[in-house]
Amino acid sequence: MEAAFGAGDGDDEATAVVSKGQASLGQIFEQKYRPWEGKLGPRWMRNYAIYRHHVYGIFTSKGHRQYHPMVRLMILVIFLASLTPIPMLFLSSLTGDGGGFLEKMWGINRYNLWGQILGYFPRNLCMWPLLTAIVVGGMISDDRQNGTSAIYFSRPISRIDYTAMKFLSVAVILAFVIIFSYFAYYTSAIVFRAEGWAFLADTLPMFLGGILAGLALVFTYTSIGLALSSISQSRFFAAIGFLSIIYGTKLVSLLVELQFETTFLYAISPYDCLAHLGQFALGLPPNYDHPLSFSVVSLISMNVVSIWILVNRVTSLEVTRE
Amino acid sequence: MEKKGRELSDTVWTRLDRKAGAIVELTIRQLSHRISTWVVLGVGVLLMALLMTFYIDGVRESFEPIDNDGDSEDYDGDGYPLGQERKYGTPDWDPQVYPGSSQFVYENEIDWNDRERSHYDNKSWDGFAFFEMVWVDSNYSGEWWDWHVTWNIDDDTGVPQLEDCSDWDLEQLTDRIWGEACDFGDLDGNGLTTYFVGGKWRGEGLAVVPENYYLQWGYWTEEVYIEPEPREMYVDEDGIDCFTDSSQNRSELTRVDCPAETRLSGSHGFDDDGDCMMFLNGDDSNNNNVPCDAAWYSVNGVVTDIDADDLVDEDPDEQEYIGELGHRTFVIAVGKMAFVILLGLFIPLFLALGLVRDETENGTLHLLLSKPIHRAEFIVYRLMGYLAISATYVLALSLLVGTVASILGPGDGIIRLTDLPVWLGIGITTALVLAAYGSIFNAMGLISPKYGVYICIIFGVWEFMMGSLSIVNPNWTVASVSISHWALQMIDAIVLLAWPDTIQWAAMDQAFGFDSGLSSFWQPPVHTLGTQSASIALISSSFVLVSVTLAWIFIGKSVFSRREIM
Amino acid sequence: MTLESEEPPAVVIEGVSKWYGQVIGLNDLSLAIDGGVTGVLGPNGAGKSTLFKLMMGRIRPSQGSVRLFGIDPWSSTAPYRRVGYVSESEKLYEWMTALDFITTLARLHGMTREEATERSSHVLDFVGLSDVMHKELGKFSKGMRQRVKIAHALVHDPDLIILDEPLHGCDPLARTSIMSVIRELGKQGKTILVSSHILEEIERITEQIVILHNGRLLAIGNLHAIRGLLDKHPHRILINCENPRALAELFVSRQPVFGVRFPSEGQLEIQTNNLSEAHSILPSLVVESKQRISSIENPDDNLDSLLNYLVKEAS
Repeated sequence: MEAAFGAGDGDDEATAVVSKGQASLGQIFEQKYRPWEGKLGPRWMRNYAIYRHHVYGIFTSKGHRQYHPMVRLMILVIFLASLTPIPMLFLSSLTGDGGGFLEKMWGINRYNLWGQILGYFPRNLCMWPLLTAIVVGGMISDDRQNGTSAIYFSRPISRIDYTAMKFLSVAVILAFVIIFSYFAYYTSAIVFRAEGWAFLADTLPMFLGGILAGLALVFTYTSIGLALSSISQSRFFAAIGFLSIIYGTKLVSLLVELQFETTFLYAISPYDCLAHLGQFALGLPPNYDHPLSFSVVSLISMNVVSIWILVNRVTSLEVTRE
Repeated sequence: MEKKGRELSDTVWTRLDRKAGAIVELTIRQLSHRISTWVVLGVGVLLMALLMTFYIDGVRESFEPIDNDGDSEDYDGDGYPLGQERKYGTPDWDPQVYPGSSQFVYENEIDWNDRERSHYDNKSWDGFAFFEMVWVDSNYSGEWWDWHVTWNIDDDTGVPQLEDCSDWDLEQLTDRIWGEACDFGDLDGNGLTTYFVGGKWRGEGLAVVPENYYLQWGYWTEEVYIEPEPREMYVDEDGIDCFTDSSQNRSELTRVDCPAETRLSGSHGFDDDGDCMMFLNGDDSNNNNVPCDAAWYSVNGVVTDIDADDLVDEDPDEQEYIGELGHRTFVIAVGKMAFVILLGLFIPLFLALGLVRDETENGTLHLLLSKPIHRAEFIVYRLMGYLAISATYVLALSLLVGTVASILGPGDGIIRLTDLPVWLGIGITTALVLAAYGSIFNAMGLISPKYGVYICIIFGVWEFMMGSLSIVNPNWTVASVSISHWALQMIDAIVLLAWPDTIQWAAMDQAFGFDSGLSSFWQPPVHTLGTQSASIALISSSFVLVSVTLAWIFIGKSVFSRREIM
Repeated sequence: MTLESEEPPAVVIEGVSKWYGQVIGLNDLSLAIDGGVTGVLGPNGAGKSTLFKLMMGRIRPSQGSVRLFGIDPWSSTAPYRRVGYVSESEKLYEWMTALDFITTLARLHGMTREEATERSSHVLDFVGLSDVMHKELGKFSKGMRQRVKIAHALVHDPDLIILDEPLHGCDPLARTSIMSVIRELGKQGKTILVSSHILEEIERITEQIVILHNGRLLAIGNLHAIRGLLDKHPHRILINCENPRALAELFVSRQPVFGVRFPSEGQLEIQTNNLSEAHSILPSLVVESKQRISSIENPDDNLDSLLNYLVKEAS
């Protein structure tokens, strides 16, 4: 059986002509190719389509990027877990323990705002790295494995745009969990405790400092994760690679700190650089002996190297199914 | 005929052997053809190199002597360190009082209930009195915290200008007058004014002490110059002392080295700098009825606890002790964190998960399964191939790092031979961990090709978390539901077997404040079935690791042999 | 000879059904094969691969029993000592050389390394790859890969060889060489099962066929005998010649021919219900017509039409 598709202006005229009985004796279908005269949407619109494809996939798999059900479940669990201070605040306002235990543990202060994004246990030990690892895992390697990158690159989309949109969509998904939960935590604290403008004026600078630290975290994790995803063959390698970078550097620098009483090795740990920066942004006394500039320079170089790897790798990607 | 003969000569075992050899070899070659394998193994080597550079840097500098008890400080700024002030009995918070400064010498007193309640003299006084003044020293000062009486003497007349209190009753007087005096008038009309005085003063006159009040007097010595001692004298001045004879009769002859093989218990310790003996009768805060000693407790010939009285053996020589303690801490920390948690967890995640699963995904599995080889055999041989690479790697790496650290480490010999069993133990433990994780990850990949990967990632995070928490607190029972907990336990046990005095070192670390981190990285093994025996802990931990491995191989095998391969 | 007759046949399949959830892969199939080359024919999805996977113990029958040399291949790996299997999967260990690859797999039969190497170079030579045996498999063409797979199946000198679509995707040259390898093996007296969905390919290898359709056994036996059974159905013979109408006049009067058509310029279609008889009179009529015949085709000799007839027959 043979089938041919009419080549028309668009999908509206696409009809399949199925061969009749005599077709087995040989028949040639006339092929008409006419230049496409439609108007190409603006660049941002095409890019937006890529972005939307990735982000909407988190909520619905129909017509958008397929996220593994496990990934969607994990995102939900981590998101809910990151919102735990809110019921605690609610409880605190309900029982009216002003300045009591609940208030101290979950109320708004510099330490809690810092901890909501940068606290080690449990957020940076189990939640954010795991979240990044599973979201970022297959972002680019899946496209290579499934050959879908060929679909992208055969369309009027530059590879840089493709990379940027991948980056943006991962960052938005991470930010949705990490920064949105932070925002929800802050606003719910204000609502539950019926705070006024004075409180807002007092705490807003540190809140914004936390947002800044959170954005730095999202950006850094995304760039490291995507760089790993771009160089790996499978989504699993990228995820494990990301976890081993975050955990490995942290554990080794902790070991060195405990044993040799020097904190400067923390500059190799992305988490600790971010925590250091966050302590500065929120006006907390730093836990680290080395100057902040160490951490900042290290963070910048991590991001530069990751983005360089990512861009370099995507622009030189061979669009075959591997 | 010939074929039949060959078949007979081949036993089942040699054939098994050949099949195993072929699959192990295939697995090794497969793994070595993947870049990620080399990246992972290379990163492991880099990690060790990094730690070794820190270690080398650490041993190159000798250990800075630390003043553990702080008696080399001169808190009051009088030029004499605390230790010297203690020796002379002067306070460290009074710049006026220092060794050789003039001191008050007590002569006599009128007590609360003495019958004789008056005294005439030219002295330094302290207490309450009606003082019929002949002469007072308006510039009298002594220890600054005391209430020196302000006489407010008129420069011209030499007469104190004070409040008149002649109509006050005694209660009012004692309530309000302290550190000052008040004018009571010339009571007996002999031309000498009587003052009611409370506090300290110097002068000549007749002091009459009211009933139920107290006055003492004496004189101040001449000030002599005493050479301030250098601060260094009070660093490391009170080392750890142990004696063969645990009675109080201690001499240089009975002194022994504490961390030697001799297991000590009983009363030890000698207050070399004498600061404990400064207390009245000496301090006995460890309640063993021996003042100023350190009580060493041992169980089965192993020192398990040291309880020192205050200021006994409190400032030992760092060079002598921190070197050894730091070295052990380094070995244990590297073994636990770098080997068991990092290498032990991440190598299997990278290498073991795809052992069988990748074959299924790549479609090469049918090549192997169309051979007369059972699926269970296949799993076991694959794991063996993976272990052949990874276990060899960790064993070689641990022995390499161990040899370097043993040569560089403290001690008189060229190489610390007692370290090598520990490093070997670390290598073997890590290999067991690799086997356990390998079989788990492999089985998960088989149980659910779709979800297994994610379950493995979550499981990895759990193991990392439990491992970190087990280092901090091995007694936490929840953590025993993890491979890393048992592996860390095994290292604790191996350390104790190879260096039986580690408990003693940990006790010394805590008792004498070395702050080396040994007690935070190492604690005596927990799972000893109540025997406190390291061998039992070692056996039970390795039993758990091996049985977990076997159980997961079995689970993987059961799943795999029921699996229909499309 | 007595010893051989006591041995259970290579393949015995009794009442085997296999369901994949709601889908039926094989439906109550009974079959016994021993000796010679057998072609397993059927369109895609007929159940050929299911049948082979059942025989290789990779899936378990939902009903019935499969026996290779009298042993159930699902629960025991013993029959694989005597079976060589060429799967349809293209994947090999790309980084290995052909010799390495075959040697490694040969060692899984319990051979020593030396034995395995010797056997491997022997079978690679047999399939005509001796000149490239030190090349990496990643650089091999499709036909070479198929031959490597066949070599791996032969390395332990099996009694039963199962080839799943060995000709699939090969160029004509590779086809020819693979076919000759299979024919050669058949001559050595081994039991060989070859699957294909193209009748012509099988026809060039063997005449003994099994036809599967929708999981059912449609026919078994000699290809021509089967076709002969279908003689009551109309067959077509397509002749390309200079003057079809002149030739047609000669045919219409003859017995087995009941109709002629002229599908296009220079073509004659003869409709008959006895193909062999029609073929037997064809040469004389051609000679009689004195025309130049450029080709004679049997368009119904393809699997599709054969199946069509068989299915109609069954219903």
